Amino acid sequence: MMTNSTLITQEGLSALVEDLRQARIQVIGPARVSDGAVEYRRMTDLSGWTPGVQPRRSLKEWFLPVTEPLFRYRKEGPRVLVEELAPPDAPRVVLGAYPCDAAALPILDAVMGWDYRDEPWFARREATVVISQACPGGDRSCFCTAVGLTPDSAAGSDLLWKPNGSGWQVRVETAKGEAFLQQWSRHFQPANGNHVQPAEPPPPQPLRADPERIRAWIETHFEDPFWQEISLRCHGCGGCAAVCPTCHCFDIVDEPENPVQGARRRNWDTCQTALFTRHASGHNPREDQCGRCRQRVNHKFAIYPARFGRVLCTGCGRCARTCPSGQDITEILSRIDQWAAGPGGAGT
Amino acid sequence: MDGEGARPFEPRITAFVCNWCTYTGADLAGTSRLQMAANVRIIRLPCTGRIDPLFIVKAFERGADGVIVSGCHPADCHYNAGNYHARRRFAIFRELADFLGIDPGRMTFSWVSASEGAKWRDVVNETVDRVRRLGPFTAYRELVTDPPVTRVVGKEVPA
Amino acid sequence: MTELRDLARRLLEEGTVQAVLGWEEGPRGARPVFVRQPAEADRLIFDPRCVHNLAAFLSPRRPHLKTLGRVAVCVKPCDAKAVAGLIRESQRTREEVVLIGLRCGGVLPDPESREALSAETVADRCRGCPDREPRLADHLVGAPAEGFPGPSRRQQKVEELLALSPDDRWRFWQQELSRCVRCHACRQVCPLCFCDQCIADKSRPRWVESSAHGRGNLAWHISRAMHLAGRCVDCGECERVCPGGIPLGLLTRRVARTVGERFGWRPSDDPAVPSPVGTWRPEDPQEFIL
Repeated sequence: MMTNSTLITQEGLSALVEDLRQARIQVIGPARVSDGAVEYRRMTDLSGWTPGVQPRRSLKEWFLPVTEPLFRYRKEGPRVLVEELAPPDAPRVVLGAYPCDAAALPILDAVMGWDYRDEPWFARREATVVISQACPGGDRSCFCTAVGLTPDSAAGSDLLWKPNGSGWQVRVETAKGEAFLQQWSRHFQPANGNHVQPAEPPPPQPLRADPERIRAWIETHFEDPFWQEISLRCHGCGGCAAVCPTCHCFDIVDEPENPVQGARRRNWDTCQTALFTRHASGHNPREDQCGRCRQRVNHKFAIYPARFGRVLCTGCGRCARTCPSGQDITEILSRIDQWAAGPGGAGT
Repeated sequence: MDGEGARPFEPRITAFVCNWCTYTGADLAGTSRLQMAANVRIIRLPCTGRIDPLFIVKAFERGADGVIVSGCHPADCHYNAGNYHARRRFAIFRELADFLGIDPGRMTFSWVSASEGAKWRDVVNETVDRVRRLGPFTAYRELVTDPPVTRVVGKEVPA
Repeated sequence: MTELRDLARRLLEEGTVQAVLGWEEGPRGARPVFVRQPAEADRLIFDPRCVHNLAAFLSPRRPHLKTLGRVAVCVKPCDAKAVAGLIRESQRTREEVVLIGLRCGGVLPDPESREALSAETVADRCRGCPDREPRLADHLVGAPAEGFPGPSRRQQKVEELLALSPDDRWRFWQQELSRCVRCHACRQVCPLCFCDQCIADKSRPRWVESSAHGRGNLAWHISRAMHLAGRCVDCGECERVCPGGIPLGLLTRRVARTVGERFGWRPSDDPAVPSPVGTWRPEDPQEFIL
């Protein structure tokens, strides 16, 4: 379904964004916030748009909000009324997504549609066109190539754009992307061949590891002292989960505003906190950081692949960049991979 | 005006008071038939030292436009030093709240003894006037906005 | 660094401690390390990238560290104040810990930074810091260093905010706090946040809503600033770890200024100096009380 390459110029893009705004289609893209870092933000125009800088947090919060009301309730005399809320299906376009963020979306679709269909998630997924910009290659914490992706991967993207000096070269990846191109075709131009720039290969990433081998090692080394060793410097701060494109655990709370009304909300949660697995009895199967650090690696690189056939990670490297204690997932995976590949293989 | 029709805005004030001094003083104001604004809901605690700043935050969350915290004069605390701890705590809280943009005019701190019915009346009236001029604390209510309700599902609960 | 490594090696060989907690070169700059064998002592480093407050690992909230045995902890002057706080509040005893004090002239904002330490590059919290070496220490290593003068940019920002109207301040903080995702990383890295059950995790009754909306976030950050009043040592870790880049240091500095001005307090590495919010004086100012 891929059409011939199309182009859009800088002016064309500005005009497109203005048209989207007029049509009340929300545009989301990387932009600087008050402390100078870049985050995915709502944009009304291209001023402040900074594609090509990896946002500090992922696209996740635009599909799984940090806090989201599921429904409201109120009491009227003897009656309890549940108030259903408007579904989050307002049309949106993500402009300038990083491939490692877009790729997380189909990975999460698997669990979001697994035992029941997560309606708010899919409402947002269906209402959003994702336009990714190919990454020139990140820093030494990036390892997308070790988890089956590339810096110019189109996974999760409806359109993949590459800067070509005067604008962008556009490639359609899905039917939704094709429909978007058709709807706004007045802002695009066909490529005439001579505009198409050969892709420069991105610099190689430091981590070379085999996810299958890593999974086999994890599955046979639950009690390995390695987990204790890495947990020593971990504060259990959950910063890694907050910035991660694929971490998706949540907590559900009932929040009364007064004795007769309130809302049930879904809030981000993380297995890195002590309370995450605490039972009502007080028993906690992951009572210290050793079990919790192990869980993070186990879930992402063994449990999720076993269940859904995909590693729960896109190699974006944010966890390593944000960790206050300098914990680096590439270091962890590299060591596991070396042991797994060693003389005894998974038995080392 | 609070926009709910022609009724002028009447502030809702929550008062956290200590049992031994201010609560008794407020009771004296009542038995003395002193005239005062009716906007205050009193919550009785053993001592101002028990009052956590989160009580004030919760009051604002739940719709209060202003808050009064009142207890025993220094040296008169029933528990010896509770009001001294409260004095430090609320000095800090007041400046922190102001720094976050909560107008300190919405909070009154006072020492009212068991015999100071008239002072309680003055504290109440002054607070209500001041908060009325500041207007409703809509900024707090507007902190959370949920999507519109599209359907209401009723459910009878047996009486 | 030779001095530090030799000391660590000796402490481990003698059996005085079973682990030395310091800093090492990690994949992304300096990072905490637990050295357990004398041969590993050469991993220890100390330079302006050693930003981390290692006192956080002494908090009783980390029970798995007790399995290590007796630990020697490397502390900069600010870190030693946090240890003093833990001792002052009966969370650790002075005898339990061996403290390796490090002379310090300031650190960089970022443990990965390769910049030379200068008045422009030094972490803002170090500007104006008068403490060059911890007095709470069993050993003292490192070359004497000069600090950097104030004022700190954060204190200037506090002044700027105080000059705004309450409504403008409200808008500023609502915008900054809108990036809070309630990960509580600020709490987790803080050496002085050690409650078994944090007020924010209590659900009966629910004092601090866990949702990351304006209301919940304000309640959380008010709680945190209040609970750290007179206890925060300004190690800056909360702000460094925040995945939303929220200027938490502005809140802790505002409260620290209040506590300093009204009660004559500054953070101390002497555990015998009492905490300002656990104590009071009959003549405490009360001009705000009717």
